[in-house]
Amino acid sequence: MLLDEIKSVLSFAAFKADPDDSAVPWAKRFESRKSLLINVSRGSVSWRSLNKRGRFEEGGTQEGELQDAAPLKGEEWRGMADGGWCSVSVNHRFIISLENNLMRGDNCASLLRTNPRAVLGPKYDRGKRYAICHHPETTASLLLAVEESLVKVTEDVLKTVHLKPGRVCCGLFAMLEHAILSIFRASAGGTPSDFVLIAACEGSLAVLVQQEGQWRDIRCRSGLGPEAVETALQIISPLLAKVPQGSPVYFVGDGHDSKFRTELMLHLEKVGAADLTQDDLLWTIIGEH
Amino acid sequence: MNEYLCHDFKTPRIDTSRRLPSSFRAIPVIFYLALAGSAYVMTMDYFNYKKALKQKVDAEERQALSETQRDAFKNEKADLEAEANKADQVAKWMEGARNIQPIAVKIARAVQTDTRITQMALERSEQVPANIALTLHLNGSQVSTELAAIEAALGQLLYRSYSPQQTKNGDVVEYHSTLVRQAD
Repeated sequence: MLLDEIKSVLSFAAFKADPDDSAVPWAKRFESRKSLLINVSRGSVSWRSLNKRGRFEEGGTQEGELQDAAPLKGEEWRGMADGGWCSVSVNHRFIISLENNLMRGDNCASLLRTNPRAVLGPKYDRGKRYAICHHPETTASLLLAVEESLVKVTEDVLKTVHLKPGRVCCGLFAMLEHAILSIFRASAGGTPSDFVLIAACEGSLAVLVQQEGQWRDIRCRSGLGPEAVETALQIISPLLAKVPQGSPVYFVGDGHDSKFRTELMLHLEKVGAADLTQDDLLWTIIGEH
Repeated sequence: MNEYLCHDFKTPRIDTSRRLPSSFRAIPVIFYLALAGSAYVMTMDYFNYKKALKQKVDAEERQALSETQRDAFKNEKADLEAEANKADQVAKWMEGARNIQPIAVKIARAVQTDTRITQMALERSEQVPANIALTLHLNGSQVSTELAAIEAALGQLLYRSYSPQQTKNGDVVEYHSTLVRQAD
């Protein structure tokens, strides 16, 4: 044991970030090591591997729940990750809500994980896991609440196939956060006071409305299949009506089946939506950041 | 706006130990520096040791050569000293060797006309060239007086007769003496 500790100090491994250190970007945690990215949606599981150079390699999709897919693909997944470490995106059984005046601070994310009541106060629910995305300019925040049982089941299932979840996140919420940051960074001369941001990820949809510089509304839905474009439009249309005509509409989406995204974008182009989607966006977000 | 960091709501581990502070990186860095320094010093020591060994062999070779040369010089010096000694002796001998012609002339002038010198020999000593062995055969009536005159004449040349012997053989008186040069 002592020898291992000395070896870890001399090889600088003792100073590297732990594979499950949430405060460090995934790519930095797994420099020169392979890791696996898994997205768990309702009724399907998709995955992608990251090689030692941080490049995406083979991936795949399996229909069914994670409990069913994991025993079948466990061995293949273990071969894709050094030490069995994986980053998991959970894309169902979550709620995103708008909150105001939530605690902000450097240790807020850590505190939210270890003592969420301290951050959320009476809004805290015992059976939920939380994540927060703050408005860069106002006191509004997006609060993600995921069923804790789902997180625990996901972790347990992965443990049964000897995989270690180094991160469990919500892919849709991560895309939403990333898109919000991108919009605010891109508009250095002043962010548009009114806009609609639509995020779609593997059958989950979220629509955020900003009016007069304030986040006004958020709607989300999970478990939408590739055919559910109409359902998505029914969610989006009322929110589009809230912003003045000509306001920017941003769309960001990812998923193994591009049919949903393509058809939805056809409708959104009619209102001048800008597609911020990049290749492998979900995997890039959860595999790099 | 900070770099985007994806959120995480996994179940926190409870068995994690705190990471070492980044400042502790100095420990392995110092260790490796010390290791590299030691390796450098040891390598330099090894090369210096090898160089010193070579220098020692060279010095020993030079010493042997110098000793050979020194012995040769010593022999040469001994030879030269022997030669010089001989030359010195020759010089001393030459310095001690005086002309004997004045002696012969003095003896001839000291003898009266009625006395005849039948034989005269002057032999220089090899060891002491200043000493001359004189042998005279005189024939006459007043030989003793003549011999006293001869000794007196030789005394003018700063020669003194040492251990003179006279032997009378008929009419001939044989006179043997060693002429010793007196200091000036």
